[in-house]
Amino acid sequence: MTPFLALVRKELTVLFGSPVAYLTLTMVGLITALVYFDHLRVYNQILFLYSTTTMGGFDTATIPPYVNLRDQVFLPVMEQLALMLIGLVPLATMRVFSEERANGTDELLLSTQLSPNQIVLGKFCSTILFVGLMLAVSFVYPATSLLTAQLGLRHLVSVYVGLFALGVALGSIGLICSAFSKSQLVAAISAYAVAFVLYDFTWTSDFVGETVVEFLDALSLHQRFGGFAEGLVSLADLAYFAGITLVAMSLARLSLELTRVR
Amino acid sequence: MGARGSKVETVELTRRFRSHVAVDRVSLTIEPGESFGLLGANGAGKTTFIRLITGYLLPTAGEVRVDGFSPVTEAAQVRARLGFVAETSRLYPDLRVEGFLRFVGGARGLRGKALATRVEHALERFALEPVARRMVGNLSKGYQQRVSLAQAFLDEPTLLIADEPTGGLDPLQQEEVRDVLARLRGERTVLLCTHDLAEARALCTRVAVMNRGRLAALGPTEEVLDGDASLALFRSDAEAAPA
Amino acid sequence: MRELAFAGLVTIGFGLGAYYATDELGRFTLANLFAGAALLSVALVGGSRRLRRGLGAPASRRVLLPRLFAIAAALLVAVALERAASWSKVQFDLTAARQFDLSSATRAALAELPAPLTATLYYDEGDPRVRHTRVLLETIAQAGDVRVRERRMDDAVLEVERFDLAASNSIVLELADRFEIVERPTEGSFLEGLLRLEQNASGVLYVARGEGEANFRSTGELGFSGLASALQLQGYRLRDLVLASVDAIPEEASAVLLVAPRRALRPESIDALRAYLEGGGSLVALLEPGPVTGVEALLGEFGFGLSDGLVVDPASGPVAGARPGVNPLVESYADHAVTRGLDATRMALFLTARPVSAVRKPERDDELRDLVFTSPGAWLASNVEAVLRGFAPERREGELERRYPLVSVGRYPRGEVEARIVVFGDSDFASNQYLRALYNMDLMLNAAKWASHRDVEASLLPKPWTPDQRPLTPQQTLEMLYAVGLLLPELLLIGGGVIWLRRRSA
Repeated sequence: MTPFLALVRKELTVLFGSPVAYLTLTMVGLITALVYFDHLRVYNQILFLYSTTTMGGFDTATIPPYVNLRDQVFLPVMEQLALMLIGLVPLATMRVFSEERANGTDELLLSTQLSPNQIVLGKFCSTILFVGLMLAVSFVYPATSLLTAQLGLRHLVSVYVGLFALGVALGSIGLICSAFSKSQLVAAISAYAVAFVLYDFTWTSDFVGETVVEFLDALSLHQRFGGFAEGLVSLADLAYFAGITLVAMSLARLSLELTRVR
Repeated sequence: MGARGSKVETVELTRRFRSHVAVDRVSLTIEPGESFGLLGANGAGKTTFIRLITGYLLPTAGEVRVDGFSPVTEAAQVRARLGFVAETSRLYPDLRVEGFLRFVGGARGLRGKALATRVEHALERFALEPVARRMVGNLSKGYQQRVSLAQAFLDEPTLLIADEPTGGLDPLQQEEVRDVLARLRGERTVLLCTHDLAEARALCTRVAVMNRGRLAALGPTEEVLDGDASLALFRSDAEAAPA
Repeated sequence: MRELAFAGLVTIGFGLGAYYATDELGRFTLANLFAGAALLSVALVGGSRRLRRGLGAPASRRVLLPRLFAIAAALLVAVALERAASWSKVQFDLTAARQFDLSSATRAALAELPAPLTATLYYDEGDPRVRHTRVLLETIAQAGDVRVRERRMDDAVLEVERFDLAASNSIVLELADRFEIVERPTEGSFLEGLLRLEQNASGVLYVARGEGEANFRSTGELGFSGLASALQLQGYRLRDLVLASVDAIPEEASAVLLVAPRRALRPESIDALRAYLEGGGSLVALLEPGPVTGVEALLGEFGFGLSDGLVVDPASGPVAGARPGVNPLVESYADHAVTRGLDATRMALFLTARPVSAVRKPERDDELRDLVFTSPGAWLASNVEAVLRGFAPERREGELERRYPLVSVGRYPRGEVEARIVVFGDSDFASNQYLRALYNMDLMLNAAKWASHRDVEASLLPKPWTPDQRPLTPQQTLEMLYAVGLLLPELLLIGGGVIWLRRRSA
């Protein structure tokens, strides 16, 4: 086992040794289920309101095209899944560095053969794996739509690529906040605040000009996720999320050195 | 790397935390294979001094060398020589003893059969077999300290740094830990950080006393800790000894 | 400093939360946003001071400076990556109906823009459809000289009044001093708006009338008003041509459309058509099986053979109420301007069709070709009238199965002029009911363009997405909720709890 793999394994063991991981996954399951089935129920009601039932059965001719499973259920649920990631990913990342600092185990960690880069990367990888697991749990519901409503596997792939990219970016933000704080609570709240600010810049349109709004829009997590939710995977959006991750990792790396300077 | 341990040298080593000087121009040399005691009252600067050697903290001025390598610029080489025993609480409570040792061994570059053998050996050496499957956080302080020692010995380091290894242990447990450290004398370099004079007398050939960040005394254990006058070295108004 | 940064972040978070909750920039929101920004600024200044102090020691400098450079480099790389990716415009359309892969027709229209186009999206806050439109506009902007703007309807009351916008999610297209409104934007409606705006005059099509031909004004399922407006959108003006009352086809005619005549044409009408074609005219004829109109003989003079049977094809479209086999799905095309962009994955649906074929060239330089084919398993039914009335098709004795052509074309260079003829063995495929089915419209419009000597740009039109609108019964929904929605979290919680409890007591 290389030092790096040893660290990833340890991170996952510690994570799954605490109830936070299971509670987070359960919440992912429950929230997705409730949101998903609530939308499904409303969709069915709308469908029956618009439709005419004939002796021959259900007639869809009178239903406007925008009343469909994709637009009424699938896309709004995905939107809420993105919001849910903001709510839950910091729960998984808050302890990653903060706990080591608070327990003093970072000193032990830094006395091993693990380089600071490996430490940051190892913690980042275990976070990614957990985000992946969260998305796997949430995938069950769209998968049922896949069977019942021919949403298209490709569209689903696009949405999940987007959710994963968003989750990784949020995980990176959570990691920086954890890296700069000794308290898990402070780390989580800071991560929420940063993610909340970065999520959408629509509100700035009341203050600043069109060009600045356009620029800020390009920095918004929500805006960047939008394309994926619509089924469009753009290299630019992927690069944006990768960029956030890259900068976050370099900041987390700095935090390790700042500990030495203090 | 010395055959019987690493050589540690500090030259004018200084560390400030804002206006507070935690380590003040400390120069000393620890020879390979030596059991060296670092004494001082609480807050004298012992832990900061150790952290400067392990590279966990960076010096404000001066230099540290471990076998000629600087923890600032050649941290990997220094870490390769280092076994570090921290205070009891600095372990992962959510890992099982065996899992914890496997992790530290893995993080120190051991793998495969070598890792398994070393972990097994460490469990046996520190009498941890009965608790191998238990969570570290659920162990008594004595066992936790043994786990801490076991992890430090996993890859046979040439420099063992132990920070208050018997702190908070009952007398029986203290004796056990001291036995382990005593057996190392001459085998490898040991830097023992303690404020227990009896422990220093029992384990160290040479000691340094730190006071308000400065070296208050440095020399063979019997000389420095001879008689009641030695206690004066620990008082905050003691004069610093020439380096 | 950390405390200040933390307080700043929380303050901004609450400011934004208040904004999202109340949808207005109230005093609380503003105070929080400004206080948060101020706290963060102070924290930043303090942090940078501390960093400067940290950089005072040589060892710290040696360690921190590379890290600061690494952050700057990471920022640069991130920006460069994003810019390069934006510039490359690489994106993958993974929607089921490939809604963001612009059709060649849209691309062609965008490429030919005479001036920069401004597309302004007017929307209401919270309209969920806007995101789709936004992504569509971004895709469109990448394909041409298009400037995209967005305006909230509340903020642009004057513009909303000026353009008389009725609903959120509307696009106003502006080209020079003209504008068009696209409501409920899709690629198709955008293209229509754009074509109306561009208004390229493309010629005059004469539509033959008077002998029971198809009605280009009828909006019913059997009418051809859809084809009429599609042709007008392509820039054609349509004029009626009452063949019985003319001796000659007007010279301004870019082509004559002869769609499903039911009665025999007068010999004078046939002569007029012949003279028109010999003088370099163009004809697009859509001929149903059954009636003998005299046009068949005229087309025979130009090298076409029209069989009087009806094609029965096992590869047939499932049309409600029709006998199986009589509505061939065509999926093989010869390479020609009329079939440009069409291939085996882009089918067209014909309804009770007759075979047509290019038999011989009247003159050496003429060029005749069969373009659109049935499957190789097709055969000819002889009882055309009976089949059209709903009886089963009967196979002629000795009739072999083979691939039948359903569309043929011919060009006839005569000195400086060139006549062009396109013959379809069916007309229903272009009726209102079926024009938008599969690739029927593309085939028809390409034929009209080629016949009228207009360059056929690879002009496949955008296809509308047909959503699945089947409902789930309340029982099905509940079953899914129990089986998947609740069972999985329950198992996760039990499993996790057991593992945690066991570890805790280990």
